[in-house]
Amino acid sequence: MSFDKAISGYVLIKEGRVMYNDVVLFQLPDAAPAIFFNELYNALHINYPKFFKMDNLCKTVFLATEVLLKDRSLTGKYKAEETGIVFSNANSSIDADVRYYQSSMLAPSPALFVYTLPNVAIGELCIRHGIKGETACFVFDIFDSVFQAWYVDMLLDTIGTKACISGWADFCDEKFEAFFYLLEAETDNKLSIKHNSENIDKLYNHVWTS
Amino acid sequence: MEVYIAGKGIISAIGLNVDETLQSLRAGKSGIGNQTNLSGRRDNHLPTGEIKLSNAELATMAGLSAEYSRTALLSMIAAKEAMADSGIHINGLRTGFISATTVGGMDKTEQFMTSYIRDGEFKNIEQVLYHDSGAATELVAEPLGIKHFVSTISTACSSSANSIMYAARLIKTGVLDVAIAGGADAMSLFTLSGFNALMILDENYCTPYDENRKGLNLGEGAGYVVLVSEKVAERLLKAPTVKLTGYANANDAFHQTASSPEGKGNYLAMQGALKMSGLETTAIDYINLHGTGTANNDLSEGMAIQRIFGEQVPKSSSTKAFTGHTLGACGGIEAIFSIMAIEQKMIFPNLRLKTPMKELSFAPVTELMEGVEVKNVLSNSFGFGGNCSSLIFSKVN
Repeated sequence: MSFDKAISGYVLIKEGRVMYNDVVLFQLPDAAPAIFFNELYNALHINYPKFFKMDNLCKTVFLATEVLLKDRSLTGKYKAEETGIVFSNANSSIDADVRYYQSSMLAPSPALFVYTLPNVAIGELCIRHGIKGETACFVFDIFDSVFQAWYVDMLLDTIGTKACISGWADFCDEKFEAFFYLLEAETDNKLSIKHNSENIDKLYNHVWTS
Repeated sequence: MEVYIAGKGIISAIGLNVDETLQSLRAGKSGIGNQTNLSGRRDNHLPTGEIKLSNAELATMAGLSAEYSRTALLSMIAAKEAMADSGIHINGLRTGFISATTVGGMDKTEQFMTSYIRDGEFKNIEQVLYHDSGAATELVAEPLGIKHFVSTISTACSSSANSIMYAARLIKTGVLDVAIAGGADAMSLFTLSGFNALMILDENYCTPYDENRKGLNLGEGAGYVVLVSEKVAERLLKAPTVKLTGYANANDAFHQTASSPEGKGNYLAMQGALKMSGLETTAIDYINLHGTGTANNDLSEGMAIQRIFGEQVPKSSSTKAFTGHTLGACGGIEAIFSIMAIEQKMIFPNLRLKTPMKELSFAPVTELMEGVEVKNVLSNSFGFGGNCSSLIFSKVN
C-alpha cells in the first residue's frame, strides 16, 4: 500500500532486542550497553571508526539509524536539504553530562564535553547520512506521539522536507531505548504505514512475545 | 498568516531590562568583565558577560524562590517583562511558553555536588530537583499562568532562535494565539570549563570578526519575544511595529562542534529564511551576526554571507562583544537586538573590532549608527551539532 506521507521503515531497540520493519534483527538480552552496542555494530558490518569515540546516546541513535537506513540511502533519493531529523527523549544528554562532570574534577575532557548536548547526537547522524535539513531534539517526560506526528508532518507540509527520521531515543542510567521511523512524503515501499499517532504508538509499544 | 511581535523582555550583562540594554548599546558599554559569582573556582581568570546580581537579588526581581536555578530566575525576569510590554491578558487566549536552555539547573547541581563531594552527604538534595532543562521552563510557565502549551528546546547555541521559530509555527498552524518564546541560560562551571577544554575561550575580551580574534567569552542572560497571531495583533492597544517574516533551520552535517569552512549549514539557514520572507537579499538592512569570536565560526559565517549577498553585504555586527555568548539564550537576546534596530532606527557596533578579517570582502560596523532606516533584519544563531538557524524580522508597513 502507498500513502502520501507514510512511515516507510522503522526500528525499535529496547530490552536488548532490535526490530527492523516487523522482524527481529538482533538480540542480546541482559547485555551491558557497551557490549550490546559493540555486538550490534559488528553484526551490522559497519566500518565507521568514529563510532567508538561516541557517547552512549550517540551510539544509541547511530545504531538505530544504521538499522533504519541499512537497505536504503537518503542521499541517492533526496537533496541533502530535503532530509531532516526530529527526535525526542526524556533525559537529554544526561549520561554524557555526568561523565563529563566526573572528568572535570581532574581535568575537563573536551572529548566528553562535546557530547553534553542531545543535538550533537543529531549532528553525528547528519554527518554520517548527509542530512542537511531541519533537525531538532525535544525533551518530554514520556514519548508524545501526538506531538511527534504533528511536528514532522508540519515539516513535510511547510518547508519542503521530503524525508524525516523521527522518533524517540533515550539513554540514562545504563538503560536505553530507541524507536526511529522514516517518514517520507511519497513512498512505494512495501512497508507503508499511515503516519498518525495511533500507528506510531502501536509500533513503539510493541511487546516481545518470546 | 503573519506573526507579529507584541512584546519583548531581556536581561543580560548589559542591562536588566529593555531600557537599560538600549542605553548600554547606545553608549557602546560592554558587559564583559571579571567573574564574581563563580570566583574561587577553576577557570575563574576567564572574562565573562556576567549579570552582577546575586541569586537572591534576581529572585526578588523574578518573584520566585532564590532556591530555583539561576536559569529559571533569569527566564522569569525577561519573560515577565515581555508579557508586561505586550499588555496582553492571556485569559481566553491559547497561550504557549516555548523556552530554550542548554544548562537548565546545572548551577544548583554544581552547588549540591560541591558540598556532596566534600561531606559525602545528601543534604541539600533539593538543589538537584530542577536540574533538567524542562524544569526551568515549567517553573516560569506556572506563575505566568500559561497552561496551553509549554515546551523546552535544547539545540545548543541555536536553541532560542529555534524556540522562536517553533512558536511562530504553533501560531501559524492555529495551535496558539499567543506565544512567549526565547531562552535563558545561566553561567555555570560546566559550560565554562567545557568551552575552555575545547580551547575556544578568549582569555581577554572577545573580538568577533577581527583578524586576530582568539575565541569567545561566555555570557548569561535571557531574552523573550511575545509572538501573536494576526487576529490578536488587530486587537492590541499598542499596534505591533515588527513581524517575524522568515525563519529556517538547517544542519551543517560536518563536525560535532565546528562549522564547515564554507558554512554550508549557515548558508542553507539564511537562504531558507530569505525564501520564506520573500525578500530579495538587497532588502536586508542589517545582519545581527552569530559572530562568537572563534576562528571557525566567524570565518564560516562570513563565507556563507558572502556567498548569499555577493558584493552587496548589508550592514552587520556581532553583539556578543557586549553580552558574551549567552548560549541557549543568544537567539532570544539577539532577536530583541534585531527588533530594537528596527524600532530605534539604529545599527549597533561590533565592539573591539580593529583589523577586519582578510578572508572577507565585508567588515561589520564598528560605530553606532543612528537615524538609519532598518526595515529587515537577519539574525543568525549557529550551534554545536551543526544546528544552524536564521530569523528575519521586518518592519510593519
